[in-house]
Amino acid sequence: MLRVDFVRESPMSTPVLTSAIEDNRVYEIAVLYPYPMQQKEEQQLLKSIEQIFDDVGAKQVAKDAWGRRGLAYPVGGLREGNYVILYYDMAPEKVKDVEQQLKILKGILRHMIITVPKNYPFIAYAKAFEDWQVQRVASVEREEREREEKLKQQVVEKAKRQTKRATKKADATSTTPVRPVESLDVQIDKIISDDSLNL
Amino acid sequence: MAKKQSQQRSDPRQKLCPFCPKEVRFIDYKDYPTMKPYIDYFGNIRQRYYTGVCLKHQKMLKTAIERARFMAMLAYRK
Repeated sequence: MLRVDFVRESPMSTPVLTSAIEDNRVYEIAVLYPYPMQQKEEQQLLKSIEQIFDDVGAKQVAKDAWGRRGLAYPVGGLREGNYVILYYDMAPEKVKDVEQQLKILKGILRHMIITVPKNYPFIAYAKAFEDWQVQRVASVEREEREREEKLKQQVVEKAKRQTKRATKKADATSTTPVRPVESLDVQIDKIISDDSLNL
Repeated sequence: MAKKQSQQRSDPRQKLCPFCPKEVRFIDYKDYPTMKPYIDYFGNIRQRYYTGVCLKHQKMLKTAIERARFMAMLAYRK
């Protein structure tokens, strides 16, 4: 499972985001825009977002387009949206301008600018989330299979127990009534043949 | 009196913070799988008393969950 454990020594395979210039910082910008959107409009929107950062003189470090995702609650009457996560290396004074421009920009539902901690390992969450979903489905299926197997075993054991009980009962019924009948006959004979009773 | 005692944990030190052994320094708001066990059915953040998360990491979790809520990745209230 790809969990972000943020271990102190992150593995070398994941690229680490650091700003090239000393005073600059890496910022993470998350943008949510509506899902049913025509391709032309979408491209224009993304271009205009990137244009805002270009005007300020920011440098794109990484980009992670999540694409279509269900929303936890309706935003602007929509139940689905597109996510784009952008990483920009820019001067801290410019954040305010960018924020203002993003607020003005049309066609965006939500946006958020946050600072990223030092040596932040870039992880493509779009893929990580999909992997996680696949794994979860697999685990659910496996659990169901195990449960079914357990049920089957239980049924088999129950059937075995029942047959055992049935055989035991049959044994009991076949053996026990023979003896008293015999003994009764013998007793009756004895009684009949007994002269002292004077029947 | 006896009932009260049974409800208490026998040794409060037994519950360990799940983030501390991994030396987690930052919890990402985009990382749904890690945040999921600390949210209950109604979308509230689970208390530290029940999950055993240390205060440092609980604060990180709080910021992460609040960010995710704003971006409509998590529900405020189900």
